[in-house]
Amino acid sequence: MSEWVGVALFIMAGLAFGVVGIGVSFLVHPRSKNRYKLETYECGIPVEGSAWGRFKAQYFTFALIFVIFDVEVIYLYPWAVSFVQLGLAGLVKMFIFIFILVLGLWYAWKEGALEWK
Amino acid sequence: MGTGLNPSYFIGLSAALFAIGMYGALSKRNIISVLISIELMLCAVNINLVAFNKFLTPDAFLGQIFAIFIITVAAAEVGLGLALIIAISRRRETNNLDDLNWLRW
Amino acid sequence: MNIDFSLITTEIALAILGLAIFTLGLIIPRSARKGLGNIALLGLIIVLGIAVYSWPNQGETLGGMYIVDHFSSFFKIVGLVAAILVVFGFRRYVAANVGNYLEYYSTIVFATLGMIVMISAGDFITLYLGLELMTISFIVLVAFRSFDVKSLEAGIKYLLLAGMSSAVLLYGLSLVYGATGTILFAEVAQSIIDGSGGLLLIIGLVMLIAGLGFKVSAAPFHMWSPDVYEGAPTSVTAFLATGSKAASFAILIRVFVGSLTGIQEHWVMLVAVLAALSMLIGNLIAIPQTNIKRMLAYSSVAQAGYIMVGIVAASQSGVKGVMFYSFIYVFATMGAFTVVAAVYNKIKSDEIADYAGLAQRAPLAATVLLVCMLSMAGIPLLAGFVGKFYLFMAIVDGYMWLVLLGLIMSMVSVYYYLRVVLVMFRDDPVDPTPLKMETSVTITLLIALGVTVFLGIYPGPLSEIANTAAQSFFTP
Repeated sequence: MSEWVGVALFIMAGLAFGVVGIGVSFLVHPRSKNRYKLETYECGIPVEGSAWGRFKAQYFTFALIFVIFDVEVIYLYPWAVSFVQLGLAGLVKMFIFIFILVLGLWYAWKEGALEWK
Repeated sequence: MGTGLNPSYFIGLSAALFAIGMYGALSKRNIISVLISIELMLCAVNINLVAFNKFLTPDAFLGQIFAIFIITVAAAEVGLGLALIIAISRRRETNNLDDLNWLRW
Repeated sequence: MNIDFSLITTEIALAILGLAIFTLGLIIPRSARKGLGNIALLGLIIVLGIAVYSWPNQGETLGGMYIVDHFSSFFKIVGLVAAILVVFGFRRYVAANVGNYLEYYSTIVFATLGMIVMISAGDFITLYLGLELMTISFIVLVAFRSFDVKSLEAGIKYLLLAGMSSAVLLYGLSLVYGATGTILFAEVAQSIIDGSGGLLLIIGLVMLIAGLGFKVSAAPFHMWSPDVYEGAPTSVTAFLATGSKAASFAILIRVFVGSLTGIQEHWVMLVAVLAALSMLIGNLIAIPQTNIKRMLAYSSVAQAGYIMVGIVAASQSGVKGVMFYSFIYVFATMGAFTVVAAVYNKIKSDEIADYAGLAQRAPLAATVLLVCMLSMAGIPLLAGFVGKFYLFMAIVDGYMWLVLLGLIMSMVSVYYYLRVVLVMFRDDPVDPTPLKMETSVTITLLIALGVTVFLGIYPGPLSEIANTAAQSFFTP
């Protein structure tokens, strides 16, 4: 059971971190209410249109590139866990893998998928 | 283990998920819904693989490795699907399968 | 886990070729990319040389996950030959109708790599990765004419149906894994002999048949093929009909004949029914088609039915029949589609009616189309007849009904092939100017013609090679 004590402490510390931060700021922050204060983005651009508006297809392209490269990273985790056993051969193979990914990124760059038009 | 779980729970869950995905893939007419349904089917497969791995070969990670590969390939497939949807919607304002009738289905 | 690199030189060479084309294409200016076709052609020929040279190499590597034997080497050579003919015979078509040489040629090479990996698969993961590399490359290729809505639509249909079919296939694989506790084909076979099985395995088996049946476009999983074949660029259609199909048959044999023999009584009847349905549906629906690509698509469904007969036999002669037929089928189909592409290049039409008088306008093309179609129909003295003979001889005792159906359906197929031939040879052309074919097209057509006729008259050596290769399944 003793190993759970650490987990419990960790959870409590994590909770405390959030609660204390919000609590203290609630106690000390200045109180003022006006129209700008209640905007969605307080000091950002004004909100326009509804949330169901159409987005530029450009967002899609970025999201797609992100999804593909993001998912490839899950191979790095098993490799990192057994890094010592795999040794140099594993390192070389991982470099080949990354190299192929970089080729893909290079292609995306060259074709202008990373540019905001 | 000793948690009272047995493989049949997992097989039941994944079979239900797979059936829901299959139903969605066959009945939905929106391309994105169909893609989501296919993802659901793949999730069912992953549940199966990881559960079997746990119960059958706990010291070899065959099923888990297989699941990782499925996740990546599924991401590639969805990426390609969304790219095709963008290309189609640029030509024609639709993402409904019924409107794709230049070729007979 | 040690990797025996001498066994996978072909794969490594092909992967390097694909990456090299890709990198080179990024470095050189856009206008110079046209030369990538020649590099791809040269590279593929070198890889074919390596594959032929490493024919004697046999063994397993990666702990049984990768099997190299004569059977897989044979199908690798078939796949590479298909890739070479696609790159060589369709150069002008690609230049005029597809463009984007960098993406096109590297994707072709990666699709070939997927096929080759799949053919050699020794476990489920390799099988799945090879299959998906091939399928995803093909989805890209099918949707390649992104300015053409038909091509895009074919691409999205192929993507959705292929995604669904691979989900079904994967579910089947996961159930087989659950029933046997292993993902290696050899261990699955052993585990079945030792008595594991039950409902889980049977359900898995049915789903495997459905998933792989989709890839070879066997009825009733053929719905995608006419649409995709018609919408895709013709060069891609040709590759899809030859390379992809041959590789899928190779893995079908590897899984069923090589690994699930222990429960043969559960799947033989199912495969026989699929074969019968494919012959019936493919041949009957091909009759009313007016677009030649659609007609060839249905005819390729029927061809899948004939080839499946060899799997029903599940014997050495059956496997040999499948290998022989796949080889000649590649040449016959490639010949037919090369003609279709070359004619499309000139008259911008795929309608059979527009082929009127082709015999006067382009005698060689018309002759090759005639010979390839007659070979597919199984007329004696052509290679198709020999292939069908091997396939049906393998099941003559036990499945007489299938043999009879095959014979009747072959006669039906003669009818719709001859309809095209009549249009080409009897009707007068609207515009009698001769169509001049490029040298590369002419050479491809001559190769297809030569192989089809030669193997029809003298099938001995190839059949001997196929027979030896088929043995690798039946030596204990």
